Formats: sequence, structure tokens, C-alpha cells
Amino acid sequence: MKILVCIKQILDPDMPARDFKVNAETKEAERGGANLVTNIFCENALETALQIKEKTSGKVTALSYGTDDTEDSLRKALAMTVDEAALILREGDSNPDAEAVAKVLAAAITKLGEFDLILMGRESGDWGVGQTGGLLAEELGLPSLAFVDSIEANDGTLTMRRQTDSGTETATVTGPALALITNNEFNVPRIPKTRDVMMSYRKPLEKFSLADIGLSAEDVSGSSFYEVTDLSIPTKDVQCEFVEGDSIDEKIGVLASKIQPVVAANS
Amino acid sequence: MSSIPAGVPTREIYWNVPFHDLLYVFLVPTLAIAAWGVYRRVRLWRAGQPILRFDRLGERLDLFVKDVLAQGRVVRSSYAAFFHTGLVIGFLVLFAATTVVAIQADLKIPIMQGPFYLFFQSLTVDLFGLYVLVGCAMAGYRRWKTKPAKLVYTDEATRLVLLIGVISLTGFLCEGWRIAVTDDPWGGWSPVGFVFAAASDSMMSDSLMKTLHTGTWWFHMALSFGFVAWAPYTKMLHVLTSPLNIFTANLDGYGASLKPLDFEKAERLGVNALTDFTWKDLLDLDACTECGRCTAVCPANTVGKTLSPRDIILDLRELMHNNAPALLTTLGANGAGTKGADSSAPAGAIDAAATLPPVIREGTPLDPEALFSCTTCAACMEACPVHIEQLPKIIDARRYLVMEEAEFPEGMMNAITSLESRQHPFPGTQFNRTDWAEGLGLDVLGDMEDPTEAEVVFWVGCGGALVERNRSTVRATAKLLKRAGVKFAILGREESCTGDPARRIGNEFLYEMLAKGNVETLNKYGTKQIVTSCPHCFNSFKNEYPQFGGDYQVHHHSQYLQELVEDGRLLNGKDDVEKKLDRKVVYHDPCYLGRHNGEYKAPRALLDGALNTKREEVARSGRDSFCCGGGGGMMYIDEKPDQRVNQERASQLLESGADTVAVGCPFCATMLEDGVNARKGDREVSVMDIAELLLEAAGDDEASAPVAE
Amino acid sequence: MSNVIVVLFGNNGWDRSAEGAAGTGQRLAQSTGGNLNVVFLGDASKEARDGAAACAASVVVVNQPELAEYQPEAALEAAQKACAEISDTSVVLFGNDTYSQELVPRLAHRLGGCSLADVQGVTADGGQVLATRSAYGGKAMSTYSMKKTPVVLWVRARAMDPATPGAGGSLEEKAYELATPRLTITSRDVLESEGPSLEDASIIVSGGRGLGGPEAFENELKGLATAMHAVQGASRAACDAGWVPPNWQVGQTGKKVAPELYLAIAISGASQHLLGMGDSKMIAAINTDPDAPIFKHCSFGIVEDYKNVVAPLTEKLNSMG
Repeated sequence: MKILVCIKQILDPDMPARDFKVNAETKEAERGGANLVTNIFCENALETALQIKEKTSGKVTALSYGTDDTEDSLRKALAMTVDEAALILREGDSNPDAEAVAKVLAAAITKLGEFDLILMGRESGDWGVGQTGGLLAEELGLPSLAFVDSIEANDGTLTMRRQTDSGTETATVTGPALALITNNEFNVPRIPKTRDVMMSYRKPLEKFSLADIGLSAEDVSGSSFYEVTDLSIPTKDVQCEFVEGDSIDEKIGVLASKIQPVVAANS
Repeated sequence: MSSIPAGVPTREIYWNVPFHDLLYVFLVPTLAIAAWGVYRRVRLWRAGQPILRFDRLGERLDLFVKDVLAQGRVVRSSYAAFFHTGLVIGFLVLFAATTVVAIQADLKIPIMQGPFYLFFQSLTVDLFGLYVLVGCAMAGYRRWKTKPAKLVYTDEATRLVLLIGVISLTGFLCEGWRIAVTDDPWGGWSPVGFVFAAASDSMMSDSLMKTLHTGTWWFHMALSFGFVAWAPYTKMLHVLTSPLNIFTANLDGYGASLKPLDFEKAERLGVNALTDFTWKDLLDLDACTECGRCTAVCPANTVGKTLSPRDIILDLRELMHNNAPALLTTLGANGAGTKGADSSAPAGAIDAAATLPPVIREGTPLDPEALFSCTTCAACMEACPVHIEQLPKIIDARRYLVMEEAEFPEGMMNAITSLESRQHPFPGTQFNRTDWAEGLGLDVLGDMEDPTEAEVVFWVGCGGALVERNRSTVRATAKLLKRAGVKFAILGREESCTGDPARRIGNEFLYEMLAKGNVETLNKYGTKQIVTSCPHCFNSFKNEYPQFGGDYQVHHHSQYLQELVEDGRLLNGKDDVEKKLDRKVVYHDPCYLGRHNGEYKAPRALLDGALNTKREEVARSGRDSFCCGGGGGMMYIDEKPDQRVNQERASQLLESGADTVAVGCPFCATMLEDGVNARKGDREVSVMDIAELLLEAAGDDEASAPVAE
Repeated sequence: MSNVIVVLFGNNGWDRSAEGAAGTGQRLAQSTGGNLNVVFLGDASKEARDGAAACAASVVVVNQPELAEYQPEAALEAAQKACAEISDTSVVLFGNDTYSQELVPRLAHRLGGCSLADVQGVTADGGQVLATRSAYGGKAMSTYSMKKTPVVLWVRARAMDPATPGAGGSLEEKAYELATPRLTITSRDVLESEGPSLEDASIIVSGGRGLGGPEAFENELKGLATAMHAVQGASRAACDAGWVPPNWQVGQTGKKVAPELYLAIAISGASQHLLGMGDSKMIAAINTDPDAPIFKHCSFGIVEDYKNVVAPLTEKLNSMG
């Protein structure tokens, strides 16, 4: 079974909120002192892929569209025991739209060969647009399923479980498919063994330019789908009223009197 | 009744013992059996990895005198001190007496006479013989009556106590009958023998005593020889291994007890086979006297966790002996076991090692759960009378689990993941590395035109900058440094974790990366002096960074602030504190400042200078301090509600009646604040860092204004 | 003149999400001078048909066996065909649910348009569609200028105002020839939950890591939720710790809710959590730390240990009836 996992490197979503600053000019977040990390759902996708590989057999390839910095995320994927990695070096817009990314990934996947299963994270922790997966499925003409949290492979048939608003659904598909992975308790990304971290530097990580995969910067200019026209940090003008009172009972009384009307109106 | 003419005091050697030369015939097999017993152990140690422990002979000799001859650590327990010292010195004295006899009888040098005979060979030997007898009685009393939990109760131990007692007793019987029969005019110099003589004289005839004497003498010798032959096969081997172990101990303090790893060459990261240990680790196993002090002081064990340093050592010892043949095979493969064998062992050694059982096994003292409940406080090592190094073995096993298996507790995983991607172990923190310093106008090295203008680098530490509770501590320290006019700067965003949590959790690889990065940063700015707010950072700089080329003069903030006070740069000198504190303070020694690095005085002096009141002490303090529960990565783990080390420690501190628990470590501050809040009941008790208290004493200009967001 | 289409799932009925989506569609249509069209995928109840017909110029119910239960490929193809039959469409709106989220990008690609997710506000002034939404885990707000037509969006419909009833429109049923699907949903498990779902709840009582364990959810908070006729929710930390099921999670990667009242207990308020509940009409918090970020988004709060507050508060509310 050949599995390809597309991963995205993003600005650390756990950076302290007070450190978060935006550049009004470029309409992007300032890197500042924050780190770049692999998007968590992409790591869930890697973990899902590796578990399938370990249960059956085959090969897992990690693919990313990014800069030289992105190599770190791919190395980490290799340390998680992904077999090989490919990095398409980004040209032009530093925040390409979802369609541009989907086109790049589709071209890269065509270049890399045939895959039985393509996994992606359900959305990214930076822009969180969540469109790339669906668009890539269209580009590749593959059936897809979103919010998948576990996959079993049996004789070419994939059984996927996914989360819905009210519970779960199970779907089966034969032949190549694309799944957008969400987290569950079974796909918590593994901590790489140090031995594997050391080995990851000896595993193949190929870098491609857009030209290598048959695209030009104009093909994927990155703002023909949508364009960010404003990015700002909202200033919350909510003033929290701290409940006052001489005793805790009194405070609770005040709190209850504030809550009670809403409760009465909605019961 | 025959008698020796009056004159020079002496006695007849081998009186009433015909064929006594047979002793030498028996001595040969006895020594051979004993030697084999020793050899079969020594050769097993040689299956271990090389480590240099025969250097610095002067220091080693000092330690030998202090902790072997003077029983420096044994005597910390007064009961054991009394009987064990008696047994040790008694044995040495009796051995000397035997040697004197041999010199006189075989070398024909007449030394056993005159005052020497009276004072040493008679009186001293007699008294120490008695001491041995009393010692056996006390050991027996403890073993059969008081039965402390820390001991290991085996038939072997029982037999050993009885055997030594009987040997000693039969010696006195022989002496008594000799004195009685020969009517020894110097008999009074052997008071115990004299008492036996007096008692026997009135009850028995000379001929009966002579018959009994001959029989008992041979019995005494048979037991003694038997003891010598048997001892190396029992825990009495410690008579040899413990002194050797003390001689080859780690001389650099607990803070420097972890070995670096050679990632290029290491066949296995960490330890999971006996052959992964060093020969000194294996010697440790045979040096154990089963006294149980390590487990008795272990904080994890105290709160009911399965970790038991004693049982780790005993389990490994059993494992070593049960797998002796396999170990010896590795020795053969390992270049015929030449001492100091190259660590890049030939492939055969690895194959042989593969036949050894794993060291880490569930349900044994080396269960991963037990291994990951160690706070690395080093109380076990400090308690060990024979300098066994339990902690490095625990970390070696953790290294294997973390680096080869990636199997360790989730909380520690989160800390490690955060260290990897964010260089600090506190995922989800809402602070950055400089928020705490807002408004203080501190210099940041990277922003200074001439970074060498900063005489001191204030290393804030993740626990100080990123944990809500401790921001006021590092802020107080910075204010005090400013007030004293110290030219210092911080690293700000360039600071990262020193790697201490990674190293203690067992991720040596990550530790090395962090350490190298920090050394590079500090050296870039020509750093010479560092003040840390965290004893863990302090320990890294002091004991661990030199091997990465990071040589700095490092001070814990308590040390540096105390120096400033002594120099009159703070508080206008010691005795002129503007506003002394009226708090009732008890000081909690952080493990990594105290036990690991021997600093007990500076924080206390600093507190005493700032207090109006007398400082309290608890029993578990100083060298014997009880961990807050936060070291060794335990900070990141949710302990079971009924097994929380911090609460146990909080209770101990609360017993002092103090209203303020003074700490000198961000980990201690967070752990103990939680613990104290859980256990204080209705009392008002606060946990404060020394720097916060000092600032309070000196008067904080900003005291009324809250810390800027 | 350009038209707006709202795509709904017949099985969902005329729920709050449908109302909000239709309302937003109506306002967009008014600003572009076009018509609002509602497409139901799968048979719709009378209530839903009436609700849609009351505000839309046309209602299409794609009613055929393949759509009786949601199947991704059938739904996509049906939506594509239904939308294609409506001319001059500028915006296609979906609500906030699993299926909508899954369909939006694929439908946009097939219609030659562009798409965006989790839209909190959308305008279409002068033919230029602008969408606003959170970014960076709630730390920022972003505005997108959409570059292709039609613009396919899923919106936080529950937080949006319903439509005003207008002249009743036409209603017709349709069925299309659909390709054989490659992927089939073979079974559905509905997690049992009492009362309304988190998304539909008017009042939510949520707990966080500060509760220290599952017991508080099971006891104190459950009691309070009952007294308040509320649904229980949780922060990601509490879900990740396994204290409560994952579908209790409110936040960026959990449920996005907008109740009348959101009571956050022992939740510090990471931006990712705020992203999931920031639209609530009223937010109140109980937390020991006065500096907790949650208080920066609260109408009112109480700085206390929840242990001292929840039980007496429950009692008080019960006594107030």
C-alpha cells in the first residue's frame, strides 16, 4: 500500500497570544520569536498513515509545499518513520490560496507516482481555511471523506471511520481515495525514537522547484481564488464585570440573579 | 597449676594447642575458596563498559579514610553507627592481633610483649572483641525485634550475625580458660577473658578447662576459617566491595553523576542489558549491604509509589548472578575482557549481549512506572553508606525507554515535544521570555552594542519567565541586581531551556542539542559570569556545560545576592536592613542546590539577614532534605491524588509552624505552593522565593503596583 | 442582478442553522438585487419546505433515493446539478455541519468558483464578495476578497439572523441521474446524548482542565447544567485528558457554538477555545485566576474556586425556580 501524506508547516499555534502580531502591509502574521511547527492535524494524518503501514505493509511518503524551513517538518515526519519525503519549494506569494496549493500538490503527486491513499489534515492551525483537501481531491478526481479519524486497509478496500456532528459514520472505498484526518485518541502523533531521529537524516528528502513538477510561478500565483484584504487582531471591548460581594454567598447570589433570567427565558 | 615467671608481660602462643601448624594447611583451601568467591564476582564486573575511576588517587584516599575507616556515612544512623562501627573496628583490631601473633610465631620477631602486649594485644583486643559481641547482639535485636522495614530479611543475614557472635564468644571462652589454667598474672589486662576465667575457675577443674579449651579453640578456628571462606558468597562480600566501591566513587558530586553518550558509537542508547552498564555500575550491585537507607529516604517510595532504589540494586544484582554464564560469554567476545575495553566492541559482544535478559521488566523494581517516578533528588545516593550510584542507573534505563522505545509518561512527552519545538517545557504558556521584565528596562544581550559591558548574565530560566507563579521571583531578583548596581543583562528570546528536564527524563539527545545551542549563544557574547534563578539551570552550567565548551562562573541567585549583601551593595550591609521581616520562615533546600551542589549556607544566611525572627528548620533539611516532587520531569506528570510528593513535603514543612515557606527554585515554588494549599487547612501560609523575601525586606518601590501585564 | 443559493440537507429540517443560512442568503440577495434560492438535498419536511418557501424565490427539493441518506458523491453531484440550473449565481451558502464542510470546496471547484470555510460575516457590495472569518486559532480576524464566481461558503449559520418572511416562492421537486459512487457510507452511529446538541443549546455549561478530573463533570457541573436546562461542554484539555467524550469539545477543532449563555468553569480561555464560543450572546466565567484570558471575553465573572461556587449556585438557581 502506497500512502502519501501532505503536511503543512505553520506558525506555532501555541505561541502566547500576547506575542501574536500581524503585519498590516503583507496581511500575514509576524514570525517574531515564534517557532514553525507541523500542523497538528497533519501529524495526526502521518500517524494514521504509519499505523496502516505497520498493520499491512508498504510505504509512506510525506509531501509539503513550503520553504527550506519546511525541511524540519519533513525530517520530523521521517523520524516518525515515514519512508521518504518530498519538498516543493514555494515561489511567489508567501500565502498562496488553497487552489494554488492544491494545484501544486496535484502536480507533485503526479510526479511522485501512484498512490493508493492520500491523507491530509482537516485544516491548518494558522489560516484554517480547510479547502485544500477538497480541491486536491477534485484536481486528482478522487473520492474523498472529511473528518476521518481511523482507517483500515483490507485487500485494496479502505474502511474509514469519520466523526460527524452527531456521532460517527463508516465508509468503504475501493481504489485510490483521499481522506482528511481529524484527531482522535488513537492517532495521537508518536514521539519519534531518538534512534529514528538520527536515522531521519539519512533518509531521502528530495526538493523540487515548481518547474521540476511542470508548473510555473504564474500557474499558481496564489491569489486567483481569494485574496486576504485585511488581517487584524480584534480588540475586545468587553469589560468583564467581576461579581462583588462581602461574602462568597453574596457573590453567588449576585451571579445567580444574573443567570436566572436567561435560564427562565430558555427553559 | 603452672605459671609463667614474673617479668616481661606476654603469654605463650598456641598454649594448649598441639598440632596448631595444621592451621596453615587449612588456610590454603580456605583462602582458595574465598579467593574464588571474590574472583567470580570481579570477573562479572569486567563485563561492564569502561569508566575511569582510578584517577585522582589523593582525593580517593581521602574519601576512603573518611567513609571506610571513619565510617563517615554509616554513623549517620546512630544505632547502626554504634554496632557497625564496633564490628568494623573490632574486625580490624582482631585482624591486627592475629597478625601480631603470626609475626611473633612465624617470623620469630618478639613483639608480643611488654606494654604493647598489655595495652594492645590484651586490653584493646579484648574490649573490641566485646564490642563485636555487643554489635552482634544489637544487630540481632534490630533484625529480630525492632524489624525496620528498610532491611532485607534473609536466612543468610541471620546466619552471618550468629556466626560472628559465636566466633567472638568462643574466642573469649578460650581466653578465659587459658587465663584460668595458666593463672596468667596479666590476665586482668584482658577484662572480658578475666571474667570468663573467674567464672570458670570456680566451676571446673583445670583438666576439664584444658580439654574444653583445645576443643573450643579448634571450633573457633573452624568457624573463623569457615567464615572467611563463606563470606565472599554472601553479603559479607561488602567487606571488600564496599571499600572498593567507596574508593572508586564518583568524586564530582551528584550534580555531575550523569554520563554523556557517544551518539556516533553507542550500540544502544541508554541501558537495557547488564553489559550496557559500566563496570562501576556492576561493582555497585555487589557493594550493596542491603541496609535499605536509600529506599527509606526516597520521596517516591515514602508516598507509596513502587520505586525502591534498594530493590533496583538488589534486583540487578540477582539478575547479574543469575546470568553469570551469559555475562562471561560477552566478556570473552569483548576482547577477552581486557579492562577498559574499547566501547566500539566487536560484533560478537553484541550478539552475546543479545542473549542477556532485559534489565527493564514490568512487575520488577525496574518497572517503567517505577523508573518514571524518580524525582532525581539524589537522597538515595546521599543516604548510601557505600556510595552506590542509584540515580545514574535509573536515568540510564530511562534513556533506553525514551530514546530507543519512545515509551514514557504522557506528561513528560508533552514537555519533551514542547522542548523540541519551543525550547521550553511548558506547552500552552501564555508568557514569553521577557514579559516578566516589562518596565524594568533591562539590557538584552542581543540588543547591546557591546555585550561585554554586561559583567553578569542573568539566566532567567523557563520556570521563572514562563510560569505565572515565578515571574515575581525573577522580577524581584532583577530589581535587587539593579539596586545593587550590578551590570547585568538577560538573553531574552535567545534564552532556551538548559536541557535539564530533557536529560533527567532521559532524552540525552535533545539535552545535548539544547546544551550546545546555549553554549554557542553564551560564548557568542563572551559570557563569563552567570546568575541563575533556577538550581536546575545552575547545575547544568556548573556541572554539565564544561564538556560542551561552556566554562562559566555560575552563581545561584541566593549565592550572588548574599555576596552582594556581604559586600554592602544590598541592604547597606548585613546589619542595617531597613525593614526586617517579621515572618516565621522555614527554608526548603532545593535538591539541585543542596544535595547536588552542596550549597546549604548562602540561602540561610540571606534569610537570616532579612529576618527579625528566628528561622525554623525541619528534620528533613540540608543534606537530608526531602524533594518537592518536581525534579526529574515529575513536574509534568499528574500524580495520583494520594501519592503526591509535594503534599508530603508540604506537611513536613507545615509541622514547623512556619507561616512562610522559603524556596530557591521555581519548581519547588510551584510544587510546594500547590502542596501547601492542599495541606495548610485554615492556616495562612505562603510559599515565597528567597529573592521575593529579600525584596520585601529591602522594600519594593513597586510593591503597591501590580506586576505589569 | 445575481442570485444566491442556499444549499441545505433535507434530513436536517428547518433548524436554526437553516434559518441563519437562509437569512444571510436573503440579505445577500437583497444587496445584489438577485433572488434567494434554496436547494434541499434529499426530501425535506413540510416545515422545512414552508420555511424555505416563505423567504426564497424558488425552492428545489432534490428528492431521490440516492439522497435519502447522505452520501458524499451523490450529494456533491446533485448539488452541482441543482446549482448549475440556477443562472447567474454569485454566492452559494451552506450551513455549519459535517456534510456542508465536506462539500464546499469540491462544489466550488466543479462550479468553477472559489470557496471558503467557517465564515462569520459575508457582504456582496458592488458585486465584490467579502468574507470575514477568524484566523490563527482565533487570535486574528481576516477579510477575504473572493476572486471567482460563484463564491461557495459555509457560514456560522447558527449565529446569524433568520430571514424575514417575504412573498412565497415556487417549489419544485427534482431528481438527477447520478454516477455510481466509489465511496459509500455503510453505517452510522449516533452517540447518545440527552436533550439538544451542543450546537443547538441555548445555554451551555462548560468545564476545563481546572476541574482536575472527570468527577466534577459527572457531579457538580451536571447538577448545575440540569438546574440551568443547559447542555454540558468542555475545553480541549478536558477532552484530551479523557474526562469527557470528544464530542463535548468546544473550540477551534471542536464544536463552534453560539448559545444565549455560555458559562465557562475552570477554563482559562485559550484563543482556540474562544474561537468556538466567542459568538455566544452572554459569557460568564468562574475561575481562580483573575488574569485568565477568559475574563477578557466575559460579560461577568467570579474569581473563586469552582468548588466553592457551583454547588451553592445550583441550589440558589433551583430555589429561584
